[in-house]
Amino acid sequence: MKDIELGQIQKMLHQQGYIGDGSIAMSIFLAMKLEKPLLIEGPAGVGKTEVAKVMAKALHTDLIRLQCYEGLDSTHALYEWNYQHQLLYLKMQEEKGQNAKALEETIFSERFLLKRPILQAITHSKKPVLLIDEIDRSDEEFESFLLEVLSDWQVTIPEIGTISATHKPQIILTGNRTRELSEALRRRCLYLWIDYPDFEKELAIVKTKVPEVDAKLGQQICVFMKELRQLKLEKTPGISETIDWARALVSMHLTHLDKQTVEDTLGVVLKDWQDMRHTRDALSELLEKTGVVSRIG
Amino acid sequence: MQNLIERQTELSGNIVLLCRFLRKKGFPVSVIEEADALSALSLLSVRREKEFKEALKIVLSKNQYQFKKFDGYYHEFWDQLSKAVDSKTKENLERKNKRSEAKQQEIRFDSLKNWLNLKPSEEEKAVSSYSDFEALTKKNFSDLNEEEMQLMMRLLEKLARSVAHQKSRLRKVSKKRNKIDLKRTIRLSMRKGGDIQKLVYSERKEKKLKLVLLCDVSKSMDLYSRFFVHLIYAFQNAYDKIETFVFSTALHRVTAILDNYEFDKAFDIISDRVPHWSGGTTIGSCLQDFVSGYEHSLLDKKTIVFILSDGWDTGEPIVMKDAMKAIYKTSRKVIWLNPLGGSANFSPDALGMKTALPYIDLLASAHNLESLKQAILLLPKKRSLVNHTSYL
Repeated sequence: MKDIELGQIQKMLHQQGYIGDGSIAMSIFLAMKLEKPLLIEGPAGVGKTEVAKVMAKALHTDLIRLQCYEGLDSTHALYEWNYQHQLLYLKMQEEKGQNAKALEETIFSERFLLKRPILQAITHSKKPVLLIDEIDRSDEEFESFLLEVLSDWQVTIPEIGTISATHKPQIILTGNRTRELSEALRRRCLYLWIDYPDFEKELAIVKTKVPEVDAKLGQQICVFMKELRQLKLEKTPGISETIDWARALVSMHLTHLDKQTVEDTLGVVLKDWQDMRHTRDALSELLEKTGVVSRIG
Repeated sequence: MQNLIERQTELSGNIVLLCRFLRKKGFPVSVIEEADALSALSLLSVRREKEFKEALKIVLSKNQYQFKKFDGYYHEFWDQLSKAVDSKTKENLERKNKRSEAKQQEIRFDSLKNWLNLKPSEEEKAVSSYSDFEALTKKNFSDLNEEEMQLMMRLLEKLARSVAHQKSRLRKVSKKRNKIDLKRTIRLSMRKGGDIQKLVYSERKEKKLKLVLLCDVSKSMDLYSRFFVHLIYAFQNAYDKIETFVFSTALHRVTAILDNYEFDKAFDIISDRVPHWSGGTTIGSCLQDFVSGYEHSLLDKKTIVFILSDGWDTGEPIVMKDAMKAIYKTSRKVIWLNPLGGSANFSPDALGMKTALPYIDLLASAHNLESLKQAILLLPKKRSLVNHTSYL
């Protein structure tokens, strides 16, 4: 895996149906070569998480995912003893009258250890991709804990001992900028910012993901989305919304946009009632820019 | 990689120069990043210009702002560098016959070095300006330059954050393993016949400050309004529950804008949206609009209302009085920040100010950091403990 070339990565991304610009392939390439974590930021729905998925697929390895949330702590990220099983086991053994020491050794063995994502990644038989999703949602304490793991690659479990990584997992961190990440974490990572795609790129994505889309419809969808993003919306739709919308329209067997369908299916694209209202008001103008209205009028 | 560094090829030398240049531009480039950059470049088999730039961008930038600015700086750097190299080679050729001109060229090369900020004296200067921090806290907000503003905002955000996270004495169930909640643990175990199978933890509840910010952006506040938007931006980042409005002749809710955009963009959008940006003020009617539109949804006994204004009202005093009364009654505390409070002979004489005074818990001057800090530190205090006349 270490002697992979930049061109190969571009090809793999393409084969997996991931259309990205040069910086995405480059960042994956560098992250693998320099063995550094890759921090990806960008607006919602531009395919940050997808990068990790595609990477795992392309490298024929497993993706281990750690979804961050407020209150996530080391027990949920590293390991936990299966307390309930330990209790049951003890009860069962009580009748047999085993000696205490042997019992203790059994209940604190790997059998009763619940491996959480980071420990899983460390002990994995093949170098996995570890996706730490939405890191900015976790607390600051967890972030510093993560720093420690990222630098040492070993986990100490008091009852068992220290477990060192068999392979350094390939780490991808994603964030939505809900909270500013610490400088220390940023410095340990390579950085990639993914923005909304331009028109050509988005069209290519739609064509790859929804191959049955009519050429004209695809074009209209992408122009419309581009114009829509120009409006100052509360929640600007991402690429995933574009793809959803294209799928929805294709399933309705449409070959072009018209005002009525757009109005009816706006809920696929916009997820905020204020945006909805705002867009409805500006719809005629939007469609005119897309080049739809002339046909209806 | 080691080789590359030791050999000090022209390329690696230039990369080091680039790193220094970026460091001056605020990129956090340390030796590690420099080494990474060099080893990244050594990995690229075909050194195409675009890939070269992409690789450096990914290694050297660490946040969105830097990521977007990188291309510009990168080109600026190489342009200047190639210019300098040109003049240097020229200089070598002409040195023999034209001494004086050669000297001039040398000056040009020196000026490039200066431009790159490589001179140690420059660096020292930069450090010393940071130690002028004491002076900064007393400096009037209207005379701040952009750099001081940035520094100030970082301080303010820190300050605001320290006030935002106050712990209550109440406890709540927690996912973190700090303190065991025995009562709940035992109650839970009852269901399973008295065996404790799951421990319940608790942590102290966070007292969340709820803030409503009303910021005057009229003509008379012109000197301060950019600063105030900076301030509310810093606040918005520090507090979870905050609603922000700006007003001059009409009221505008700008919470979402400040939430979603970088400062400069947010500032532009707000200036766009508010048609009377820097026009006259009708504080009274704007406050009235706020009361009628948002009193029930935003104000309660946990909410602190901040009003940033100089109190020059061109409307009817009675309107202002009613609005202030309503706000005072439904909120936890009303704090009025008046930037004019900094001048020695200030007294709340403006008619608007006089009308509002009985319904303000704290009238603070907000002309420098020192005064603002006092006001922020008083945030978590109870109404009765706030000194009514701490504006001088």
